[in-house]
Amino acid sequence: MDFGALVGIFIGAVLINNFVLAQFLGICPFLGVSRKVDMAFGMGCAVTFVMTVSGVVTWLIVHGILAPVGEWLLGDKEALFFLKYVAFIMVIASMVQLVEMYLKKFFRSLYTAFGVFLPLITTNCAILGACLLIDMNEVYQQSLLSSAVFAFGGGLGFALAITIMAGIREHVRFSDVPKPLQGAGITLLTAGILALAFMGFAGIGK
Amino acid sequence: MAEASQSNLRQFSDGIVANNPVLVQLLGMCPTLAVTNSVENALVMGAAVIFVLTMSNLITSTLRNLLKPHVRILIFTLTIATFVTIADLVLKAYVFEVSKKLGPFVPLIIVNCIIIARAEVVASRSGLGRSLADAFGCGIGFTIALCILGAIRELLGAGGITILRDLGWHWHIDPKTFEPHAWVIMIMPPGAFLTLGAVIGVVNHLRSRGAAKGGA
Repeated sequence: MDFGALVGIFIGAVLINNFVLAQFLGICPFLGVSRKVDMAFGMGCAVTFVMTVSGVVTWLIVHGILAPVGEWLLGDKEALFFLKYVAFIMVIASMVQLVEMYLKKFFRSLYTAFGVFLPLITTNCAILGACLLIDMNEVYQQSLLSSAVFAFGGGLGFALAITIMAGIREHVRFSDVPKPLQGAGITLLTAGILALAFMGFAGIGK
Repeated sequence: MAEASQSNLRQFSDGIVANNPVLVQLLGMCPTLAVTNSVENALVMGAAVIFVLTMSNLITSTLRNLLKPHVRILIFTLTIATFVTIADLVLKAYVFEVSKKLGPFVPLIIVNCIIIARAEVVASRSGLGRSLADAFGCGIGFTIALCILGAIRELLGAGGITILRDLGWHWHIDPKTFEPHAWVIMIMPPGAFLTLGAVIGVVNHLRSRGAAKGGA
């Protein structure tokens, strides 16, 4: 795996196939926690961190535990793959718990800054989505390093989108929005325009 | 008895109209946006969600007296993950093409907030009948919302609706007349955000008008 390919994966995950605006992963926090820029940025950092760690750990579980154990017990590498989803969600839930405990003990200030966002990340579909996308892609199945780069890029893409959105929403607050569109309506329309802008990045890939 | 079935009916219809999970409660946004580029995808996704929601409400309601408060979310998640695995394997076996198009969004039903919310709010507190009525109501409400979005997007973007191409259930405007006017953007990601935003605006407008009439 050469360096150029890794850069390609990274840019693809951050801009071209942005998790929020092109793949619709993590919409709930994107709509819910994007009122203020500092909150959105905190959420983005927490998600990037958990996504990278769980992407690596679930890759190791699939290729380090499920595949060899399945081959050893039943003679078929894919025999135990029906356990994947249950395993993934367990890993993410315990990962979030672990990260929370670790930060609480060693990085107190960071822990208080993340606040309520850390436990919320368990149900963020962007995390499980990243693990599933890594699991479905043939390139990532071969290499742990590119999986890690993809997960990290996906997390950064989420952070970028939610921070931009929060910046826009801070200004939308002062404008005269028609009543039925206030709240979710105008946020979704804004996200649509933002997604149009991000479609421009599709050209980089070619 | 009659009263109980009345309240179950109420629970069922609430899930479809008054408390529609997508258009009113704004739950389960990710699949709503991602799979509504065609009516067919929306229907298959809706069916999967109805199945998982019904089974998870059934199990949760049966176990509700055994659940300890601090492990209940974990139990919900594991129950849901089990039934999602079943649904995923069934879809892969019978409608492989659609299942490929839905991609990660079938397994992502595990973290769909609608299902956890229904388990927490209704199934862990009430009997079997009410939980099942609630699951059907919410599931059908979700499917209807998805189909509305899917129909708008597919009509504007592709000029017709196709369900099960092999069986020939499709209706299309003549491509030659339609193609120059197609809003391709509607079946691409931005179209999802724009359509859902507009539909939610319309729903809010209708609701506020209904409330004003009811008040007067």
